[in-house]
Amino acid sequence: MSLKDLLSPFFVWQRAFEKPWTNMRPIEERPGAPAYRGFHINLADSCIGCGSCHTICQNEAIDMVPVEEFSGRPGDSGLRPRFDYGRCCWCALCVDICTANSLHMSNEYTWLARDPTDYHFTAGVEEKPWQDSELGYHRAEGYHLYPPKRIDMDMLTADESVQSFDEVVNGYSEEQAKLEADRCVECGICVATCPAHMDVPDYIRSIRDGDFETGLQLMYRTNPFPATCGRICTHRCEEVCPVGITGQPIAIRWLKRFIVDQVDSIDYARILDSEIIENGHKVAVIGAGPGGLSAAYYLRKKGYSVTVYESQETGGGMLRYGVPSYRLPDDALDKDIDYIISVGVDIRYNTIIGKDVMFEDLLGEYDAIFLSTGLSVPSSMRINGEDHPRVLSGLQVLADVARGKDPGIGRKVAVIGGGNVAMDAARVSRRLGADVDILYRRRISEMPADPEEIKESQEEKCNLVEKAIPVEIMDTGSKKQVTIKWGEAEMVQDPKGGRPRPVLQEDRMHTETYDCIISAIGQGSNLDFITPAVQEQLAIEWGKFTPGEYQRSELEKIFVGGDVANRTADAISAIEDGHHAARGIDRFLKPGAYAEN
Amino acid sequence: MNTVDEILDYAIEQEQQAADFYAELALRAEKAGMKQVLLDFADEEMSHKKRLLAVKNGKHELTPEEEVLDLKISDYLVEVDATDDISYQDALIIAMKRERAAYELYTDMAANIPDSHLKEVITGLAKEEAKHKLFFESEYDDRVLMDN
Ligand SMILES: Cc1cc2nc3c(=O)[nH]c(=O)nc-3n(C[C@H](O)[C@H](O)[C@H](O)COP(=O)(O)OP(=O)(O)OC[C@H]3O[C@@H](n4cnc5c(N)ncnc54)[C@H](O)[C@@H]3O)c2cc1C
Repeated sequence: MSLKDLLSPFFVWQRAFEKPWTNMRPIEERPGAPAYRGFHINLADSCIGCGSCHTICQNEAIDMVPVEEFSGRPGDSGLRPRFDYGRCCWCALCVDICTANSLHMSNEYTWLARDPTDYHFTAGVEEKPWQDSELGYHRAEGYHLYPPKRIDMDMLTADESVQSFDEVVNGYSEEQAKLEADRCVECGICVATCPAHMDVPDYIRSIRDGDFETGLQLMYRTNPFPATCGRICTHRCEEVCPVGITGQPIAIRWLKRFIVDQVDSIDYARILDSEIIENGHKVAVIGAGPGGLSAAYYLRKKGYSVTVYESQETGGGMLRYGVPSYRLPDDALDKDIDYIISVGVDIRYNTIIGKDVMFEDLLGEYDAIFLSTGLSVPSSMRINGEDHPRVLSGLQVLADVARGKDPGIGRKVAVIGGGNVAMDAARVSRRLGADVDILYRRRISEMPADPEEIKESQEEKCNLVEKAIPVEIMDTGSKKQVTIKWGEAEMVQDPKGGRPRPVLQEDRMHTETYDCIISAIGQGSNLDFITPAVQEQLAIEWGKFTPGEYQRSELEKIFVGGDVANRTADAISAIEDGHHAARGIDRFLKPGAYAEN
Repeated sequence: MNTVDEILDYAIEQEQQAADFYAELALRAEKAGMKQVLLDFADEEMSHKKRLLAVKNGKHELTPEEEVLDLKISDYLVEVDATDDISYQDALIIAMKRERAAYELYTDMAANIPDSHLKEVITGLAKEEAKHKLFFESEYDDRVLMDN
């Protein structure tokens, strides 16, 4: 060893007092390119937690995690994407698929942290410096990984449709259905929104797989009326479908119909039947509408002996005597009902409870009762002259037409009301050859009818007169005509909030003469068949039941559902009420079976 | 009725009578759920009475100048009877019409007397009744005229 080597450590000490040569940041900081795929930005408020980003990520770098502040928002899973930057390869597929277009990438790419778990982060929920960055990768305007437009449905034109009662919607071909099914991102937000929680993504997948029998089985798990719902469901699922945020929602209803239309009813038993083990209990159902028959089907499947009492000559309730055949043909409704009957449900038609059979007798004879008697009493306008013979009820006109009877409406008709019954009565009147004015108290935008029905009634040339308040019905001296006096309304903000209220303008009155006036302003229940002593024990508000858990009433044997017990008054809610009650009745009658739960 | 106290006593008595009317009808009502609705109406009338008692005791002021929205719903409806099998719709019609009649009574009374504190009080009572009418008319608009 030389002397120099020996002394060198002492010379190094000299350097200890010099400026250091090591840079804290060794490289000149360079901003990312403007469209760089850097750290993620999620507009968490616009995101609905559909999880498409999670599904598409090939590296499994995205988990969906619950975020308290978003839980319980309608059409929102309450989950938000959490990124694992140990796994992300910055491919941006997650941004490209994002249905809400809430996910972007910033051009930020440096992030120093001591703890490796810091690199797991929930974008848009945890504060990050790049959250507001304008730069970085954004999906190009108009670019979609899936086609944003739905496959057009083949329908009769308005001119054709008013010529007959033929079904307006023709249904998808297999090719069309597969293309439409391909647009589904399988997020399942629809499942949570559907009152019956139908397994939509899986039955849509069955279309892609060409396996319609599996699709049918999946549907029957929660809905024994798929042919019906595939046509007239209020399809809230489509309202929340995330594909609809930047494009058009998946045509879930038409896809459901497509599956049912592919399977012949002869094959239903082979595909759907399972062994029924009789359990010895007897349940009575009052009303063979969708609520009653849904309960009957699921109870029967659980081994109950089920008898349905129905006052009319056939089943279906308002689906049969309300919804016209151009929206729901009898054979589609029959396909559903026939299968329900085939599993051993006994329906006693032409039997009015409270008249032919007494309610108290059912209470004594059966182990449980499910009651789904609907809303059958048309509300009255209670204006002067309403008892004129040329004032008809919308429900009566629709029931007559359903039975093939001529309701005798004439050639010029005024329909009063803005709900589905009014729209159906108007469109039926057009098919019977009448010119139709629809008088509605509020604005078109406030009509409770389905927007589709409003649009189609206008296309079929029903003349919609908004802000028209009927005040009097007058005799014309002719037995074939009637005059209505109506006044214009101004919409005034309610001082207490809520929807604006129409206020009659007494200086702007009109009179018009028609061949008939069809009143369709709403309907109420008829619960007179329940003895007053029993009624006293049931919670009934404004003519409707307020059921508890599992649709149970205050009396332990009685379960209630459908229009007479829910606020939504649509088929799918009645179907779910029936299914729910069947589960409730099973718990009530076989408590042991549920003891561990 | 020449003094403020007299007119207030009269109005208070009217509210009590209305409450009794609904309570009595509730006893007779046959239709499901109607008893409760009518008892709720009776409670509503008792709350009106309480308000007027508070006015009489100087704890609450009437607001004769207040503009109250008039939906004019009851004005064009037919009279209905308070039968045992009364429906929700008819119970509301009776309630709206009673409030309307009271409103018109006070409005007419006020029109026929010269400007004075008494006139102001009577106008204030008319406004109270207009508010009650609005309450029942809004209820009718929400519950009966849902599809209309
Ligand atoms: C014109 C019209 C159009 C509609 N359009 C749509 C639509 O497009 N989409 C949608 O989802 N919904 C629609 N609805 C609503 C839908 O029809 C109802 O929500 C659904 O039928 C309710 O089912 P439910 O079982 O509660 O009652 P209902 O279908 O009314 O069935 C009740 C049954 O009980 C029977 N019954 C009643 N009392 C007795 C008694 N004392 N003894 C024996 N039997 C009795 C009745 O005869 C009836 O068959 C429409 C309704 C109408 C009237």
